[in-house]
Formats: sequence, C-alpha cells, structure tokens
Amino acid sequence: MSVVLDRGEKGRHRARRAPWGTLFALVSHTVRMQLRGVITWGAALGLYSAALVASFTAIEGSANELNQLMEAYPKGMLEAFGITDLGDPANYMHSQVFGLAPLALAFFPILALANAIAGAEERGTIDVLLGNPLPRWQLVAGNFIAVAVSLLEICAIVGLLTWGAAVLFDVELSLREVAEAVLNLWPICIVFGALALLCSALFHRRSLAISIPAFLLFGMYLIDTIGRASEDLEDWRPISVFYYYGSAIENGIDWAHFGSITLVALALALLAALAFRRRDIYT
Amino acid sequence: MNLAIETEKLTKAYGRKARGIEDVDLAVEEGEVFGFLGPNGAGKTTTVRTLLGFLRPTSGRGEVFGLDIRRESVEIRARVGNLPGEFALEDKMTGEGLLKYFARLRGVGDLGYAHEVSERLGAELHRPMRRLSRGNKQKIGLVQAMFHKPPLLILDEPTGGLDPLVQEEFLDIIEEVKAEGRTVFFSSHNLAEVERVCDRVGIIRGGRLAAVETTETLVDKSFRHVVLTFAEDVDKEPFEALSGIRNLRGDGKRISFTLYDDLDEMVKLAARHKLVNMEYERPSLEEVFLTYYERENGEGR
Repeated sequence: MSVVLDRGEKGRHRARRAPWGTLFALVSHTVRMQLRGVITWGAALGLYSAALVASFTAIEGSANELNQLMEAYPKGMLEAFGITDLGDPANYMHSQVFGLAPLALAFFPILALANAIAGAEERGTIDVLLGNPLPRWQLVAGNFIAVAVSLLEICAIVGLLTWGAAVLFDVELSLREVAEAVLNLWPICIVFGALALLCSALFHRRSLAISIPAFLLFGMYLIDTIGRASEDLEDWRPISVFYYYGSAIENGIDWAHFGSITLVALALALLAALAFRRRDIYT
Repeated sequence: MNLAIETEKLTKAYGRKARGIEDVDLAVEEGEVFGFLGPNGAGKTTTVRTLLGFLRPTSGRGEVFGLDIRRESVEIRARVGNLPGEFALEDKMTGEGLLKYFARLRGVGDLGYAHEVSERLGAELHRPMRRLSRGNKQKIGLVQAMFHKPPLLILDEPTGGLDPLVQEEFLDIIEEVKAEGRTVFFSSHNLAEVERVCDRVGIIRGGRLAAVETTETLVDKSFRHVVLTFAEDVDKEPFEALSGIRNLRGDGKRISFTLYDDLDEMVKLAARHKLVNMEYERPSLEEVFLTYYERENGEGR
C-alpha cells in the first residue's frame, strides 16, 4: 500500500494515500459494488443472444425461403435493419441481436454514471464519500473507469454465452467473430454513459442525467436507421454514433471508429470532471 | 494557541430565496471542543459544508489548520473526520465494508480503534445499512468519522437518534478525544450535552454568528432566576421598578422573577425586609440559547 507521509506546517504528521491509491481504491470498490448488476445484465443479454443462436438452427434449413420472403420487403427497410442474408449466422445475429443491443446495454452505463454524482447527491451519500481525502476529479474518473470495466465484463459474459450456444448448437460462429461483436458494443455504450456522467456533473438531477442520454441514444438510432432507408436523411447519418458502429460480427471491428468513439467518451468524461470541479455539491 | 478553524467574513449565498451564511468570523483553537448552536436553517450545515469544500464560498476566506478551504480541500479532508447532518450510505453496504473502504481511501491499515469505538457504541457492523435503524446508522456514521483518529472532528448533530446510554458513551469518547489534544467542532440541538463537553460555544442566527463565548461566560453573562422568601408580606412594586427585572410574580411573602441586570440593587432592596431564603439559580444553556432567538423574533427584551 502506497502511503505519503505529510508534514504539516505545525509539525503534525498525517498519513495519506498517494493520489493513485485513492483512485484505485475507488475503482476497485465501485467495480465490486456493480458485480450483481454486471451478472444480471450479462445474463439477461447473454441468454437472449444464446436463445437467438439456438433459434438459428430452426431457420437454417429454410434460409432460402426466408430470404425470398424478405425480398418482398422494401429494400430500404432491409438495409435499415442490416439484413442481407438470413442464412448467414453472422448476419442473422447482427440483425437480431448486435444491431439492437446498444439500445438496451447503453442503459447500464447511463444508469450507473447518472448515479455517480447526481444520484449520490439525491440520496445524500456524497458528503460521506467526499468527507475522505478524495479529489473531485477522481470521483468522476474513478466511476467512469469502474463502469467501463463493468461494461467490459458484461460484454464478456454476453460473448461467452453466445459463443457457448454456437458451440452447443453447432452454429458457424467463430470465437473471434463473437468477441469482435461484443467488444464493438463497448465504445457505443460507454459514450452514452459518459454523456450521463457529464449531465450528472452539470445538472444535480439524476432524472436529467438519464433522460438526456436516453433521448440522444434513441434519436441517434432512429437517424441512422431511417437514414439508411431514406436518401433524404442519408446525409444526417454521420451525426449519429450508430453510423460508426457497423457490423463487427460480419466485417470485424473498424478500429478507427472504435478509437474515435472511445475518444469522444473520454472527452465527455473530461468535461464532466471539469464541470464538477468547481460547482457546489447539493444534498 | 494555533487555530484549527479560522474564518474571516465567510459568506455563502444561495440566491434570493434561500439563506446561507454571511460574514461569519470563527476562530476555533486546536484542542478545544467547540459547540456550534442554532436551529434548523440557521446556517450550521452550510458553514460546515463550506469549510469542507462541498460549497464554494461567495466571499470571505477560511482556513482549517492553516489550509485554504478553496484550494486545499483534499488536504483539509485528510485531517478531518466528518459526520454529516444527514448521514446516508448506500443501502447494500455494511458498516464493516464501509470502514474497510474508507480505510483504503485514507491509507489506514489498522482498524483496531474502529472496532473499539464500534464496540463501545454498540454499532452493528455486519448488517446492511437498509436493515439498520436511524440510531444504528448514526453509530456507523460516528465510527467512520472517528476511526482514523483525525486531529479535527466535525460532527453535525452527532447524538441524533442515539439512546441516552449511547449518548453518554459518545460524550465520554469526546472527552477522551479532547484529552488527546484533538479538536472537536460539534453542532447540536441537545444543549445539555453541549454544556457538558464544550469549552466554547458559537451561536448562529439567520446565517450570522450572534455570539461566541466560553460556555461558562455565556451562561454567567446571562440572566438568573431569583426567588425571595420574606418573613412577612412585602410590596412587590419596588422590585418591579428595578431595572432588569422581568416575569415578576409575587404572593405576599414570596417573590420570584428573572434578573437580567446587576445583582447589587436587588439585594439592597431585599435587605430592607427580613429575608428568610434566597434562591439564585443560573439558567441552563438551553434557556440562554432561546433568549437569543426570542430577541431575533422580537419577543424578548
């Protein structure tokens, strides 16, 4: 344990943790506290995904008929939902699971990071925590890092259950395809969590810190989905984070987009730290 | 004597609707137990939260152990054990989990003193917070404020919800803290306990510091309850005419009143009659405190 011995002006010695020690303690505690949520979210999404893998075996034999049936649908609509070949397990899983999963999974970081500041103020727990020698920026950074780690854990659970089902039901999905699909969920979800953290730092109110990112999440999804179907709205797609999401299970991760979205999330977390640094804390 | 807390014209304004604190000048010496009194909304919690850096002062300055409250808040909190007025914790945490977590944040390796204080207060460390009564939560709050033996304890209503035996044990601990030369800044509604442990008292009224005195002086400078019993009936009017006499009641041989002024004239007047008994009683701190508030409300003298 790293400890700084600090000699005050009056000769009083106080043992205080080195700055990174407090950050590590905060992150490890928060990750532990989120473990139950991680298991719940991971199990719920993972079992849904595993069930879809299992259902693929039922439609696999009639894929040609299904694709013919799909041709009757407007082309724009199929493009909107990323459907190209339902006989391909990767395309099937993208259109049925991974294309939509951010709409659900993003709520894990949104709820957790809205709680980190505004939620703690509303519950009155923030004074006790900040009664410790914990810099405010560390409260922001520590929660962001902890939620990022917990989100990775959820992605890992979803990936393991999906891949396990693929092995069990003999569906042609490689571990690499599944791993890239679940890892690609991480930046798009954490970016909405970071936005929730910024709103939490700015507005003192948990309801705003949840509703603003939730509104943008669905708004951006609609812009991208409708933009794929409608030429009129296609030019709007780049303002949506879903435009950069792609289909990692089919095409692999686009690391440039992955890195850009992660940078946006980091920038939002940095803004949250700056906003929270000088403001009053209300309980 | 070094100062643990020093503020100069410390002001925190919330805007037009809510009152904060205004021009608060405080000087709390190291090693003393300082009582900070005032009703809800007077500014006690605002003062404490401004000292700890949770609220940014609108103007004025403040220092804790010579450290600036605006710039060195983390250093200040390393030296302070704080019990907030509304102590709240995450529902699923246990007291033991909280202490281990805070020990990691503070770099404290030994929880021996935490367990000693917990045992003395009867704190239940192994039950989740959601299953604890208000009093039991408060015990955990006290333990987390004290477990790292900080040089300054800031306690906002520390005995709220505690039963009388635990209150007594807590006051014993405060006396031990004082004997170790550590400082306690202590806000309370329970004036009997303030009178017992505090060296000095500050009274805050409407966001402004109305008085700071030693507990003794505050009471000594105040009024006295007087009951005079005479051998025969006396006229109470001359007593009524004396300056500083209030609430006079008399039924012939017995006169009672509250004396706000010098004793001398009253004794000389009483001595003109055959005096059988004289009761001369100092008020409780609670009565002194209420007097300050009656003045504010225009009901007093």
